[in-house]
Amino acid sequence: MQFGALKSVSELDITVNKGEIVSVIGPNGAGKTTLFNVVTGIYTPTEGDVLLEGKSIAGKDPAIINRLGIARTFQNVRLFLNMSVIENVMAATYAQTKSNIFSSALGLPSSRREEREVRAKAEELLSFFGTRLTGYRWEQPAYSLSYANRRRLEIARALATNPKVLLLDEPAAGMNPKETQEITEVIERLRTEKDLTILVIEHDMHVVEGISDRVIALDHGVKIAEGDFDSVATHPDVVEAYLGKGSADRK
Amino acid sequence: MSEQENLGIGTDEWVAQHEKRLARRAGLLGVLDLLNQKVSPTIRYAILGIAAIAFGLFVHDFYLQRIAANLGVFLILTLGLNVVMGFAGLLDLGFVAFFGFGAYAYALTSSAQLNQHWPTYLSVPAIVIVTAFLGYLVSLPSRRLFGDYLAIVTLFFGQVFIQLIISSDSITFPGREESTDITGGSNGIPGLDPFVFFGYKFKGAGDYYWLLLVILVLLIIAIIRVDRTRVGRAWKTVREDSLASQAMGIKVNNLKMLAFIVGAAIAGLAGTIFAGIQNSVFINGFDMPLLTLIYAAVILGGSGSIPGSILGAFVMSVLPEILRVQNYSEMLFLSVLILTIAALGKSWKKFAFNISLVLLVGLFIKVLTSALNIATTPAATWAIAPVSKVLQHWLFIPQNRLLWGNVAFVLLISLIAYYSIAKEKIKLYLLPLIAYVAIFVWEDRLVIEPNTTRQLIIGMLLVVLMIVRPQGFLGKTRVEVL
Amino acid sequence: MSYLGQQLVNGLTLGGVYALIALGYSLVYGVLQILNFAHGDVYMIGAFLGYFVELALGGPTKSIVPVPIMLFLMFAISMIGTGLLGIVIERFAYRPLRGSSRIAPLISALGVSILLQNAAQLIFSANIRSYDTSSFIPSTAGFSIGDVTIDSVRITILILAFGLMFALSRWINKTQVGRAMRAIAIDRDAAVMMGIDIDKVIRWTFFVGAALAAAAGVMNGLLLRGVSSGMGFVPGLKGFTAAVIGGIGSIPGAMAGGLLLGVVESLTQGYLSTNFSDFYTFILLIAVMLLRPNGLFGKKAIVKA
Repeated sequence: MQFGALKSVSELDITVNKGEIVSVIGPNGAGKTTLFNVVTGIYTPTEGDVLLEGKSIAGKDPAIINRLGIARTFQNVRLFLNMSVIENVMAATYAQTKSNIFSSALGLPSSRREEREVRAKAEELLSFFGTRLTGYRWEQPAYSLSYANRRRLEIARALATNPKVLLLDEPAAGMNPKETQEITEVIERLRTEKDLTILVIEHDMHVVEGISDRVIALDHGVKIAEGDFDSVATHPDVVEAYLGKGSADRK
Repeated sequence: MSEQENLGIGTDEWVAQHEKRLARRAGLLGVLDLLNQKVSPTIRYAILGIAAIAFGLFVHDFYLQRIAANLGVFLILTLGLNVVMGFAGLLDLGFVAFFGFGAYAYALTSSAQLNQHWPTYLSVPAIVIVTAFLGYLVSLPSRRLFGDYLAIVTLFFGQVFIQLIISSDSITFPGREESTDITGGSNGIPGLDPFVFFGYKFKGAGDYYWLLLVILVLLIIAIIRVDRTRVGRAWKTVREDSLASQAMGIKVNNLKMLAFIVGAAIAGLAGTIFAGIQNSVFINGFDMPLLTLIYAAVILGGSGSIPGSILGAFVMSVLPEILRVQNYSEMLFLSVLILTIAALGKSWKKFAFNISLVLLVGLFIKVLTSALNIATTPAATWAIAPVSKVLQHWLFIPQNRLLWGNVAFVLLISLIAYYSIAKEKIKLYLLPLIAYVAIFVWEDRLVIEPNTTRQLIIGMLLVVLMIVRPQGFLGKTRVEVL
Repeated sequence: MSYLGQQLVNGLTLGGVYALIALGYSLVYGVLQILNFAHGDVYMIGAFLGYFVELALGGPTKSIVPVPIMLFLMFAISMIGTGLLGIVIERFAYRPLRGSSRIAPLISALGVSILLQNAAQLIFSANIRSYDTSSFIPSTAGFSIGDVTIDSVRITILILAFGLMFALSRWINKTQVGRAMRAIAIDRDAAVMMGIDIDKVIRWTFFVGAALAAAAGVMNGLLLRGVSSGMGFVPGLKGFTAAVIGGIGSIPGAMAGGLLLGVVESLTQGYLSTNFSDFYTFILLIAVMLLRPNGLFGKKAIVKA
């Protein structure tokens, strides 16, 4: 993926299998979020392709890619801040529902029924996180949530799009150790309870260690290591990328 | 709020109530807030509806009926723009063109201009559909544009529309010798057929009033429903963060087009009714002044808020009428001034202080100017309404009204601007001074130029509103991430 | 051929005026990312100031200074005065909104525009004033290239317009303030961290933009178009369009866009139809928006998620 003269990500060959949890690590600027943006259609790759279940999705409209089954969260949490917590989740069910403007305006029974179903689904998804995002919290504007809750809401919102694949961009960023532990459990639950394939960008190695079937390390847009957590964590190129030249030797 | 037991410090419920407590403000605004919370929305709408029906039944003054009918049309427009701008966040500056299109389309299908006299039940729906289609066409090249770009393209479209209408009074079609006058150019098209429903011919503004009432009730219900459901939510996500919206499977461009189309259809409908009421169409009613009026109405009330649109439409529609009559104009001005001082004062003590200072300043100026023997305009000339009759003993109006008035006007604007950056201490003394100059300018110049005054008020309002309360009166406070 | 030449000359002159207006829009947009709706009315104030200077110097026929000096004073005083007005507008209508939503400054600008127009109407009344140029610059003065005549007013305007544009590009590229302006346009936060005084640079931006608009206003007056409180709306819109066509935020784009617009308008008026020329301009705008959504010289904005 090339921006002008900058090759943000190049020669990246990644395969994620169904039901896997794969972590992507690397120092800042390594191209991790760019990878996500290419996969979700925000960028069209200048070279190469993206395949979902064998079919090419490179360069397609992000909304279409989402409908094909890929959902994501964002590095700096992009919630619909002025909408309520539950509206954020309900809004994301758009592609799964079909009341058009006329049936809504006329208050047709099919429309009302769908509205109730959407509401129930949203409540159910929010209860995935225990009592944190339930009860009176539903009607509160999203901007009133704490940082950790915002991240949880973002995940619930992504789930509402009924995805097969979930891309989490630094889900544990800014969380304290207890919250980090919770997130680790949540991610595993997402795989088992929601039957998802998950790709995670993370900096916190505790999380990476706790969840990953496989780890991929990037640096300067190039894959420098791949494998299970232990082999990648001790890989000399990886150590060098994080700690600088010569660190690998010192170790 | 759900019922959770035992609110101790530290539990979430207490934190949730915190905002409520903070919001209970002192002074005048606090009272308004309290009232606001006690009355539920349904009751408010019901009260409004009853008042509207009562008005229709008991008021037979032709002039008032006309105003009410125009208010109805204006309210439809405001609601339509609220959907486009308030819900979907699109800056459509060519909105008025759809209104004009609906009006002209009605004129062409119900007059001698092209000798078409379509029955109402056919023309109105057909026109709404065609206007919607026009909205679709306009949105096609614009759908990828956002904010600023969209504004310029739609603004230009509005202007082109006007130019097309004015120039279409002599179009030579191939195969014809003479040119055809389609739109009447800048002279417009007079003599339109009135609405006819089930054989009943509409006779005056009063009849249209009832039609408008029915349409408005249906429209408001429909918009509220849409707002609370799938499409309304999707629009709001487009307004909030279109990138994230797309990532959630929402086809942003399609929704933008839909908002455009709906807005156009609503405006077109308003246009047909307006043409019916006016009995004629003139192009200069569909230009920027009207556009700014509608925008001011939506923003004043609160962009995205339906009750806000109703409030804003009411204020913006009734305002010009009030300004035309000197007595009402003065009363309005003084009441707004006093209310502003009360709201800015934040406490009853400060309010008293401000008012007394204003009175003192006025007296001082009056005494000073008579001591200096500055020529005045005789009171009989300007103190012709009850309010000004009271003021005449206190207010100094010079003979050379124009010059003094203009200077004072510039002074007023400068003082208001300075007030916005002044320190608190200075503000205390500055406010009464501004109030006096404002009264002076009003009585001296503005009260006799209602049209310019109205526009000045709107302009000032927009600027001040954005700085002080961007969410309008009834809108929700918004958090923006840039 | 001479007709075409004549239309081209007119188009370039008109284009120069539009370019100056467009530059004001692009400068402000580049630095603040807001569309200054009030810009057209600033242009109007500039035209009025020029008119009053002319009046103060004795009017078109009884001027107390020679014509070139009068012209110079008209331009200079108008540009400086209007520039100051631009600073005032920024200070009170836009500065408080720095950091709020994208729409708030737009609405505020709309409000300022309405205020300016109507304040002008209140104070100057709705009468249309005229520079009465032909009374002090005979319309026959000028020179011809073949069959194409360029009268001296047009020559002055062309020279001045291009001169100003040239001066502006040197200012942007060579001076400290100009560089600071470009820096802010690229990344405001980084600029602040580099120690750039944002407020000062923004003040300069508005000053220069308004001054250029004032120059355009005086030129317009000299071309014998009437001066009235509502005169700013359409040129403002066209200048805006020109800036967008050239790529909003781009200086060469604004110049190119302005000239292009002027020429297109002149040609369509001359050859196709006077009444529908705006329609053709609109088509041009749409075409550019569709084919090059960022304008002719605009850069594609990179979305960062």
